[in-house]
Amino acid sequence: MRYPKRTRRRPVPNRTSRLAAAALLVATTVAACGGDDDSAEAGGPKAPATIPTLTNDPLTLSFIWFEWPPAQTLEDFANAEYTKDRPNVTIKVNTVPNANWHDAMFTQFAARKTDFDIAILDSQHIGEAVTNGNILDITDFVKENIDVSAYNPYLLAAYGQFPQAETGQRDENASLYGLPLLGDTWTMIYRKDLIGEQPPKTWDEMIAAAEKCQTENPGVSGLAFHQANGSDAAAVTYNTVNGVYGGNLWNAKDRKIEGVLNDQAGHEAMDILVNKMKPLTAKGSGNWFIDEVNAAVAQGKACIAFQWIAASGGLLDPKQSTLGTTRDEILQKLGFATLPTQKTDLVPLGGMGMHISAYAPEAQQAEALNFMKWFEQADVQKKWAAAGGVPARTDALQSPEFLNASPFNKVYADSVPRMRDMWNVPEYARLVDIENTNVNAALNGAKSPRQALDDIAREQQKILDSSGKKGGAGL
Amino acid sequence: MSAPAPVTTDEPGQVASATPPARARSRRLSDRWLAVVFISPALLLLLGMSVFPLLWALYLSFTDYSATRGGPADFIGFGNYTAILTSSQVHQRALTTLIYVVGAVTLQTVLGFTIAYLISRRTRGRGLLTTLFLVPMMLSPVVVGLFWRFMLDAQFGVVNSMLGSLGLGQVEWLTRQQTALLSLIVVDTWQWTPFIMLIALAGLTAVPKYLYEAASIDRASEWFKFRTITLPLVWPLLLIAVLFRAIEAFRLFDLVYILTSGGPGVSTETLSFHVYKVAFLGFNTGTASAYGILMVLVVIILTQLYLRYLNKLKED
Repeated sequence: MRYPKRTRRRPVPNRTSRLAAAALLVATTVAACGGDDDSAEAGGPKAPATIPTLTNDPLTLSFIWFEWPPAQTLEDFANAEYTKDRPNVTIKVNTVPNANWHDAMFTQFAARKTDFDIAILDSQHIGEAVTNGNILDITDFVKENIDVSAYNPYLLAAYGQFPQAETGQRDENASLYGLPLLGDTWTMIYRKDLIGEQPPKTWDEMIAAAEKCQTENPGVSGLAFHQANGSDAAAVTYNTVNGVYGGNLWNAKDRKIEGVLNDQAGHEAMDILVNKMKPLTAKGSGNWFIDEVNAAVAQGKACIAFQWIAASGGLLDPKQSTLGTTRDEILQKLGFATLPTQKTDLVPLGGMGMHISAYAPEAQQAEALNFMKWFEQADVQKKWAAAGGVPARTDALQSPEFLNASPFNKVYADSVPRMRDMWNVPEYARLVDIENTNVNAALNGAKSPRQALDDIAREQQKILDSSGKKGGAGL
Repeated sequence: MSAPAPVTTDEPGQVASATPPARARSRRLSDRWLAVVFISPALLLLLGMSVFPLLWALYLSFTDYSATRGGPADFIGFGNYTAILTSSQVHQRALTTLIYVVGAVTLQTVLGFTIAYLISRRTRGRGLLTTLFLVPMMLSPVVVGLFWRFMLDAQFGVVNSMLGSLGLGQVEWLTRQQTALLSLIVVDTWQWTPFIMLIALAGLTAVPKYLYEAASIDRASEWFKFRTITLPLVWPLLLIAVLFRAIEAFRLFDLVYILTSGGPGVSTETLSFHVYKVAFLGFNTGTASAYGILMVLVVIILTQLYLRYLNKLKED
């Protein structure tokens, strides 16, 4: 026999192996802890006031956004225009489904490593990103490089300021963490051929017109709006009606939601939404969001619809519409108007700003600052408007390039002074989920309107009150 | 020093060149060490990808750690576990998950076994039929979810279109509390019935023919043969299939995410979907870890009870 038979069984793994395995576990644990990365300064590191020296080596500047037409518009526009100044730079706008947008950005922030240099955050995400130190503080950079007087102060505040500005205002002493990329709000889309050339002026008139149109046109529903429980779809719908009927989402100063959201005005808004507006929508529309509302309008299945302006471009494309074979034919049937008023004239603030990842390499951060400075110039903003973007500078908003680019651009320009945002706090994602699920439940008959609103107020208050709670946070 | 041993050659009479004997292997490279060397990559992978994350999640479950907020993970004892076990939100999701698991697995078992039984009685086209029935199982759940979402759409879905042609009204499959969970069960059943069918078919094929022949000689009825021969012999195998499916159904996430997003409201939110929200909406990593550990514990305990029953069944 070639090998002698062993007389004693050797333990496997032996002591050395066990020690090695234990060492490996400890090493992996230390690595997973992220070392001293966790000590990232709360509030985020500061960007330099002046743009550092830029590299001349080939560089890709990456953005992250969600999948919708403006994302491609931005990539095409930036690659066509920015590269005239910086030929070594390629712009890449990475997109994820809307429902994954928050997760895609913040899971990378959590890993303290991002594959994007510029995050396009919703205004409400800023609080979470700033509190966790995920994005650069660009206050000094803005002072040195951006003409802030060229903007409506609230737009500048909404897309960059933290702590959140009061509606319609900007706190000049607050820090800025981003600059506007794309402005947006809701537009009312109405069928001129079915309800007349003039859009309804008040919310009550709008409901009456939708009801009449639905009765007179079998197969066409009176209304189409966002009701889904993903993203912020149903929440924005309720918040809009809440604002129009004089309600408030919260008392920001006292961090009070219970008793504020579900006051008399809040309940009236929920009742209007569920009992007057919902019956005018198509059967099974309880999970509709941007695409479904657009499809209903394009197929001529809705008398009046509400949609984000930045997502309305496709409605004028004859290839996607049954309302006409040319853009002009479609425009003979479709009208775009600012939202009707009722007790107030508030409209929802949409759109997003650009924010630099605190974890991007220095060369990328420098390029991102340069891109932001370039993007916020007056002539670039007008070109952005002409390319299909929605600018934030006042001069660009009032320019013919913007106002003539699309029939709904004037709606945006007229809506700017009427905008109201949601809560921009670190707990935003939880708050909006609570509101979304409950409004969706009310719209689909799973809860009564009163119960749903009271539940929203109670659960949201619990989230705000439990900041810093030990054990069971998030439930 | 002894002379070297003669070396054999292919051709007798020819003296082979004297080559030195192979060097003795290092004492460290024994069979057992070689085995360790060969299995260590897989072991390291297992440690890194499974064991470590599980231990790490266990550690985090006793802390208030948040992945996005960073900072130190403060030890809070069983705070997360107490909060989860006493949360009405969790109780509601547990009930939804239970209804889903029982509904889906029961339906799949009945259908899967019936199809397998019918296929096993065929002699021609059996292979083709089996392959065709297996197709849904091979599709990605996300793809399945997306096309069922279109099929179940209340406005333009093919299901409502068919109901309409039969003179029946439109059904809001995915947006009504009464039908949304049922829709999830139906879609999951469509996809996973073939799994039960496959296992049941294997069991049915393994039943010795002579038992049926003996029963036939005794003029036993078909029902008697099924009840006393087929079912008892296939039952243990079927129960294992049920176990696998129940575990899978218990951690359902993808179909819910695609088809209903947990709606209307939270009426189709399963435990896994809720863990996802706790983990990634609020980034409450400590709570989510405890939630995950509890789910693993529930599966382990139920599986152990189930396996004991299976063993008892075998012994009987």
